[in-house]
Amino acid sequence: MSNIRLPKLTFWRTVVAVIFLAGAYAAYARFALGFERSTNLADSQPWGLWVGLGTLCGVGISAGGFALAAAVYLLGFERYRPVVRAAVLLSFLGYLSVVVGMMYELGLPWRIWHPIVMWNRHSVLFEVSWCVMLYTTVLSLEFSPSLVEKIPWVRLRDWYLKWHHHVLIALVLIGAILSSLHQSFLGGLYLLAKGKVDPLWYSSYLPTLFYLSAVPAGLSATIMAVYLCNRSLNARVDPRLLSEMSQIIAPMLYIYALLRGIDLATHGGAGYLFRWREESLLFWFEIVLFVLAPVFLLSQSRVRNHPNALYGTCALVVMGFMANRLNVSITAFQASSGFYYVPRWTEFALTLATVTASGVIFHYAVKYLEILPRGVPVKNWMTSHSASA
Amino acid sequence: MPKSKAILIDLTECIGCLSCEAACKQLHGFPPEPELKLSPTAFTIVEQHGDRFVRRMCMNCQDPACASACLVGALRKTELGPVTYDSAKCIGCRYCLVACPFNVPRYQWAKLAPFVTKCDMCYARQAKRQPPACVEACPVQASMVGGRDEILEEAQKRILADSKYVKHIYGSEEVGGTSVFYISDVPFEKLGFNPVESQPMPVLTANALGDIPTVVMVGGGLLAGLYWITNRRKFVALAEAEEAARSGKGKDPHHV
Repeated sequence: MSNIRLPKLTFWRTVVAVIFLAGAYAAYARFALGFERSTNLADSQPWGLWVGLGTLCGVGISAGGFALAAAVYLLGFERYRPVVRAAVLLSFLGYLSVVVGMMYELGLPWRIWHPIVMWNRHSVLFEVSWCVMLYTTVLSLEFSPSLVEKIPWVRLRDWYLKWHHHVLIALVLIGAILSSLHQSFLGGLYLLAKGKVDPLWYSSYLPTLFYLSAVPAGLSATIMAVYLCNRSLNARVDPRLLSEMSQIIAPMLYIYALLRGIDLATHGGAGYLFRWREESLLFWFEIVLFVLAPVFLLSQSRVRNHPNALYGTCALVVMGFMANRLNVSITAFQASSGFYYVPRWTEFALTLATVTASGVIFHYAVKYLEILPRGVPVKNWMTSHSASA
Repeated sequence: MPKSKAILIDLTECIGCLSCEAACKQLHGFPPEPELKLSPTAFTIVEQHGDRFVRRMCMNCQDPACASACLVGALRKTELGPVTYDSAKCIGCRYCLVACPFNVPRYQWAKLAPFVTKCDMCYARQAKRQPPACVEACPVQASMVGGRDEILEEAQKRILADSKYVKHIYGSEEVGGTSVFYISDVPFEKLGFNPVESQPMPVLTANALGDIPTVVMVGGGLLAGLYWITNRRKFVALAEAEEAARSGKGKDPHHV
């Protein structure tokens, strides 16, 4: 008998393995065969699923970290402290996925460092790239104690944690500002494409709308992640805390819907609302999923106080948010370009594999680090001497 | 300072001989076969709309959307007029393709190290005081090059001298002005010219970018202020709890 213990073959492990295999082939196709044979991108749709889903949704859904960190450390909402590490980790992994996504999204990824030395301050994308660079660094620093506290060398560990404690407030503050800037500037990217973006989505308030929609999506994703950890990783976060968090989401969606409505009414997009065309249908799909259904459901205390129902509602918010970003980046360009873009399966596979990798890392981080309060003592990861204080 | 150059394309003169496209392809070493649309191997092409021929090329805008979009500044409006592309800077983000109001830039999708391609009004030739290859090749008066002001004057003279012309110089106002002008006797919208903004495109993002200092100052100040209040509250609560404990009122300091 062999001494090597193979990991048990479970359903989810099989799914993850299949996704990684598909992703590996897609990565091969992207780098060995090129864009033409790995994507359905074209000159009239130069940004497709990788930008729409990978970057826009990835950054937006990662907004929970800055929102919760600011709430706990700056605004004194101490009761959310149990989930702040999970939120920061989720955001950190989200941004790492975005950076990894850049490596296959960019045509010349080995030049990803160019914006550091080659500046164009008239470019919205330049601002976005700097904010994402800086904020990913801030997130790694915000997250670092979870790893450092497992270091067995006591003096180094204590020195680092003491130093970290001193700069944490500054980090959180800088993180909140950087997030506010680039969350909105992702919408600002599309300001320049006036005339190409369908009137249902073009707005001079795109930056504000992107910001206002990212925060509820980020909070919903955090609630979902904590719920899953409660369920399958033995985390012990009071469901009432999640229910309370969800009460912030509905008012945010109200404000978002109000601004969107006023803007559509005043900018002439309203005339397209009830036309029988694919864009209008997808617009309503997005609005129902992202705003109408969640606002109704979250107004019901039965839904808010039932963990499964709350999870489902948060999933609606996240899916509605994704519908919005995909509409802005893909649907809104169809009429003007006359090109019907349907992503190739390899595009899906690469994005899915990147997100799955983040999910796997999140799973093991929650399992072996002190990310969330848990029902069983956390296993010591590097050494049995590590302090788990 | 060199004088800004511009090209005038007179659609009433064009005979559709494709000499311009052939000269362009020869100069860049592209395969000589004519193409129907702009491509990485066709920086100018001739479209047929009814009995009119419309030559397409980069408009080389005065205030180009592509140059404002490019995060590394690979695209640049030169003083000479052409909008040039520095492939050594490009990272392949393709925001210029999204931004261009005339849908001009093309991407080398089939290559493993793909670049953006577009006409640069033969910047290298013009810097040596030679005309762009396409203009030089034109056997009739359909394409001409000159100082931007003189070219506009010439266009004005032509459309005023003959009543057949549409009384508009395409490119004089579009997106704040371009360095390629069209005059025609058939309405432009019938020749595949899409309506575009009259203001320069970069104006659309300049306002948003101008808000950065405000967001940083106001947002930073607000958050710092709120943190100060939070901290002060904690401090006061702690002091009160200690006070209560010391004066022996029996209050538990941990339950404040």
